[in-house]
Amino acid sequence: MDPEAARTARESLDLVFHMSNILETGLDRHTLSILIALCEMGLNPEALAAVVKELRWEAIPSLSSSASSLSATPPAPSIP
Amino acid sequence: MEDDDQKVLDLIKELVHRLLYTSQHPIPSPSASSNPNSSSSSPTTHQYQQALRYALRILSSRMTPSIAPDDAAMAESIKRRLATQGKSSEALTFTDLYSKFSSKTGPGSVKNKWGVLYLLKTISDDRKLLKNQSISRVSNGFFDPASVGGLPALFDSELSDRVSVVNEHYKNLSDLDDKHFSHNLGGSSDNLKKLRGLNSFGKVEKKWGDCGFNENFEKLRVSGEGSRGFKGRENVGKGWSGGVLMVSKDPENIRHLAYKEFAALLREENEVSEEALVRDVLYACQGIDGNYVKFDEKADGYMLPELVKVSRATHVMVRKLCELGWLFRKVKGYISESMERFPAEDVGTVGQAFCAALQDELSEYYKLLAVLEGQAMNPIPLVSESVTSGNYLSLRRLSVWFAEPMVKMRLMAVLVDSCKTLKGGAMAGAIHMQAQHGDPLVKQFMKRLLRRVCSPLFEMVRSWVLEGELEDIFAEFFVLSQPVKAESLWREGYSLHSAMLPSFISSSLAQRILRTGKSINFLRVCCEDRGWADAAAEAANAAGTTTGRGNLGYGETDALESLVAEAAKRIDKHLLDVMYNRYKFKEHCLAIKRYLLLGQGDFVQYLMDIVGPELSEPANTISSFKLAGLLESAIRSSNAQYDDPDVLDRLRVKMMPHNTGDRGWDVFSLEYDARVPLNTVFTESVMARYLRIFNFLWKLRRVEHALIGAWKTMKPNCVTSRFLDKLPNAVKLQLVLTSRRCQVLWDEMNHFVANLQYYIMFEVLEISWSNFLKEMEIAKDLDDLLLAHEKYLCSIVEKSLLGERSQTLNTTLFVLFDLILRFRSHADRLYEGIHELQSRSTETSLSSRDKTKSRANKNDKLSEPGLWLGEGRKALTQRAGEFLRNIGKDLDAIANEYTSVFDGFISQLPVQQHIDLKFLMFRLDFTEFYSHLQSKTGAKLLP
Repeated sequence: MDPEAARTARESLDLVFHMSNILETGLDRHTLSILIALCEMGLNPEALAAVVKELRWEAIPSLSSSASSLSATPPAPSIP
Repeated sequence: MEDDDQKVLDLIKELVHRLLYTSQHPIPSPSASSNPNSSSSSPTTHQYQQALRYALRILSSRMTPSIAPDDAAMAESIKRRLATQGKSSEALTFTDLYSKFSSKTGPGSVKNKWGVLYLLKTISDDRKLLKNQSISRVSNGFFDPASVGGLPALFDSELSDRVSVVNEHYKNLSDLDDKHFSHNLGGSSDNLKKLRGLNSFGKVEKKWGDCGFNENFEKLRVSGEGSRGFKGRENVGKGWSGGVLMVSKDPENIRHLAYKEFAALLREENEVSEEALVRDVLYACQGIDGNYVKFDEKADGYMLPELVKVSRATHVMVRKLCELGWLFRKVKGYISESMERFPAEDVGTVGQAFCAALQDELSEYYKLLAVLEGQAMNPIPLVSESVTSGNYLSLRRLSVWFAEPMVKMRLMAVLVDSCKTLKGGAMAGAIHMQAQHGDPLVKQFMKRLLRRVCSPLFEMVRSWVLEGELEDIFAEFFVLSQPVKAESLWREGYSLHSAMLPSFISSSLAQRILRTGKSINFLRVCCEDRGWADAAAEAANAAGTTTGRGNLGYGETDALESLVAEAAKRIDKHLLDVMYNRYKFKEHCLAIKRYLLLGQGDFVQYLMDIVGPELSEPANTISSFKLAGLLESAIRSSNAQYDDPDVLDRLRVKMMPHNTGDRGWDVFSLEYDARVPLNTVFTESVMARYLRIFNFLWKLRRVEHALIGAWKTMKPNCVTSRFLDKLPNAVKLQLVLTSRRCQVLWDEMNHFVANLQYYIMFEVLEISWSNFLKEMEIAKDLDDLLLAHEKYLCSIVEKSLLGERSQTLNTTLFVLFDLILRFRSHADRLYEGIHELQSRSTETSLSSRDKTKSRANKNDKLSEPGLWLGEGRKALTQRAGEFLRNIGKDLDAIANEYTSVFDGFISQLPVQQHIDLKFLMFRLDFTEFYSHLQSKTGAKLLP
């Protein structure tokens, strides 16, 4: 990559990082860069967001003590 | 392709890794793709694998985003959300960043900016949700369930349900080929559909209330969510960061879906959008037909035709709003109609002013409409978006805006209706009546309008009152002028036109206005006086306005009144000064009294003396020149000669039109020439009345004169006494008797005439004159003067029995006069006869004394002397006796007649009700001789 492009990329990342801080997304630069790359490749941003949410959510209960109770599967509804 | 896919997969793996790890450890671990267990402790491989698979599942399930890719709109939405959360500074920063970000183009920049933004937004939303959830889970009892809608636990369980479902799905589908899925991101649609279908089915099941909830509860949940949504927003606004269980975007987009449904419903129901309707209504309110809203001739209003498919409420609303358009049409129609008629000079200045005022109001209205039209361009937000106070215009907002213009327009339409056929002062009066309203808004409006409308009128009043100018081309002023000769200028030149009198000018004020202007014109035309201009300027100064234009206005009726009062006062005073001093009004009145009303006794006497014999001739033989000469000599020989020559100039002899058989006495009269300006007072009719009085007085004088003349011959003298001696006794007795009877009769008549004369001269004339003088002193203007003079004349006429109601008395009086004159001729005859006899007897003392005369006729001349000479004394006696007998009979006849008539006259005097004749009666019947006589005879003698 030529330095020009690299600089543009870096600046863009900075801006996006700043914006994401404003929006309190809690994402760090690296994760953000991955997400941007994935978006650029054409993935659905909604889906990506959902992934982020789910995995985070999944991560958090592992912290708290009541996580285990919740991770226990409640009765599953029947699927006709 | 494979490469790309691999890259994607790698990235995803790394992402998952990071997410799992970094949530625990802030230290980012190296992105080893398939090495999850590098340095961390808790994330197990299984977990990692699970997570990865789950991630892939999610990624493959949603291929298309649910909203349109528009990065500007996205940025806008983010900004708005930040602003509503109260983080306005951050919103500004964000805007700044975004603008920089979007300006980055070329290699190395992010192409899918929208995607990035959407991603950030979604993550931040979800983050908040996570935070809220976590806090609530930690401290569940903290919040009153009711305050959060009462269903927090439900939500949790729901979430957990949802998660479990997904997990379940995941478990059920885990036996499906991972790789197949993971390599098939762009992949086979039916599998994806199946997956999606299952997912959505799960959602649907969720939505429609499995887990034992019924529909109502579901709705409640949704609404509870909504209410919680509001609360959340409020609370967030207050600065709580995720205090209450709130989401602004529910996970399954339930609210979003509901709104979409609502929007679809609206669109389906209304064929026309609300914005188009609003624009059409705005057009209608300017009198223009819009695309949908048209003017319906039959229904006489702007409305949507029935065919247009909108809800009934909208129809009604549009109809209501278009009332303004109907009113506008009416007002505009009137204005344009009037403007067309301007050149035809049909509409007066007041009408023009009215149109101008209306147009001003309409321009205010246009301004409002322009502002509203600007706002109407903004799209009307649906209920789904957050409530802003943005400048959009819906039908409801329009109805609020139109409230005040509707009132004003209604007023204007009412005014237009009431003024359609009116002009000038009448129009101003009608508008004024409408302005009597309690509402201050209406009052203000009407006041403004009336000020404009009445300014031409007030201007006319001002110029009339201060300059006497009447510039009234369109006949709008309430003072009308007619072209008349100078002498009737005062009485008939100007009049009030009450139809054009506006109601805020009272009629007494109008009278004063009329009089003031009339006085100025009178002064200018008749008196050739210029001094009134000073008076007018003084008046204007005193009233605080100037003689210039445009200082008075409606609502300043006090100012107008004071101006008029001042002007009237000064100009009237000036006019009276001119009348009295320059034209010597008083002197002329006095002169008229002295000459026409026979006040100057010596002059009258002398005139009578010299004119008398002339007047006995038949009328057509008398020349007026001769009479004029006689008049001159009469003047010169009496005190009248010392009078003002101007006055004497005006005195003339007038011969009235005569018939054959008239004597001079009947046609003779004096006249007084009153020139301009005095002939406003002494008009033709007034002079005719003076003439009538003069005639009566002249006749009376004549009678008096006749009686006096008779006395001259009747008084005892040596001639008669000597004659008496020479007569035989019989004749003597007869003579004495006759002469006595004559004298008695004369006395009666004289008594009557003298007293009547006194009554007329003093009781009637002098008293009326003194009253008139008094009134002249206090007269303030010419109208007063005219009235006073009128009163004076009337009283004279009435009291001297010349009025209409005294006709019978009048005729009686004239009968009496005739009798008196006849008596005079008899008396003359008698004494003439006596003298004749006497002279005969002395003449022919030597010869026979038969100087008798036979007097069968009045005009009998003496018979030839020859007859006389032949007879002797006996014949003379016989003749004398016969003569005396005849005379006696005549006298008796006259006496009887006279008595009867006179009694009748007397008896009628107390019965008169319109004049008070008791003084006359008192004098005439002073000793009650007549009434005594009457009661004795007991008969009411007819006149």
